[in-house]
Amino acid sequence: MRKLAIGLLFALPAALLGWACFLVFSAPAEPPFDWMNHMSVVDHDALVALLDHLYLVAAYAVTWAIQLGYLAWLGLRWQAQKRAAAS
Amino acid sequence: MKKLVLSLYAAVTVAFLAWGYYQAIYIAPADDRLGGQGELYRIIFYHVPSAMVAFLFFAISLAGSIGYLSFRRTRDAWAQISDAWALAGAEVGVVFCTVVLITGPLWGRRAWGIWWTWDARLTTTLVLWLIYVSYLLLRRFAAGPQVQTLAAVLGIFGALDVPIVYMSNRWWRMQHPAPVFGGDADSGFKDPRMLHAFGWNILAWLAWGLLILVVRYHVERQSQKAAAQDVQDALNA
Repeated sequence: MRKLAIGLLFALPAALLGWACFLVFSAPAEPPFDWMNHMSVVDHDALVALLDHLYLVAAYAVTWAIQLGYLAWLGLRWQAQKRAAAS
Repeated sequence: MKKLVLSLYAAVTVAFLAWGYYQAIYIAPADDRLGGQGELYRIIFYHVPSAMVAFLFFAISLAGSIGYLSFRRTRDAWAQISDAWALAGAEVGVVFCTVVLITGPLWGRRAWGIWWTWDARLTTTLVLWLIYVSYLLLRRFAAGPQVQTLAAVLGIFGALDVPIVYMSNRWWRMQHPAPVFGGDADSGFKDPRMLHAFGWNILAWLAWGLLILVVRYHVERQSQKAAAQDVQDALNA
């Protein structure tokens, strides 16, 4: 049970980080500089909105991955200290 | 009693974070001005508060470092407390500064088309992060009686970069956007709901930062006490 809890503590930040990387690196290519020759304004705006959304979600996910990852590491250190003091 | 207070504070902090997130995503309107950033600007609600909290914690590290250097020969207990605050401030500050250095390029990739540029604000922030990472590496890997003193000196020099980072986009107008407060006429929030969301997120991230700062300080103090006990046991043996 304890190992499962510790595993979950680190799995969540790792999953968030992986998700953020997936969002950024699997995002569609940005519209080219001469996009007007290739797509309509509606398509362009939809693509830009999608990209903005993906990067926004990635930024929030990375923030939580870092903060929760650090909290998990800190919690483990605290527990290890308590165990050492008890023994 | 301590546990109850900590649990209550943690619950309030989580509520602030949830409220800040709600404000940032659902209440603050998109930046739909001509040439505005649409939804992308919402990164600012995590990016800027993280930078503010990082600066505050580097200031705490500075105060702790000065305290350690002041008390190390006269009041050992005070010196150790100061040193624990210096380390906690530096470490949690680095965590927040890392958030800043990752969310910034994510915004920059969409807004500027590039991940990174050697703009004054970006470069000085990277230097600040590197100084405090070297501070943490010194604390982690160096040994001997002078480590705390050397770390305190490094912590003081590191903190000197904070005002340079803060003023960098005022002194050198390059690519980084103007400051949210005290910038030019085009800077700042144009809608009060944006400002409210920003304020709530500052409060939420400050509360979160203080929570992990206190936990980190506690861990360091326990570590100091265990080390002192080990020395005492060795002397008694």
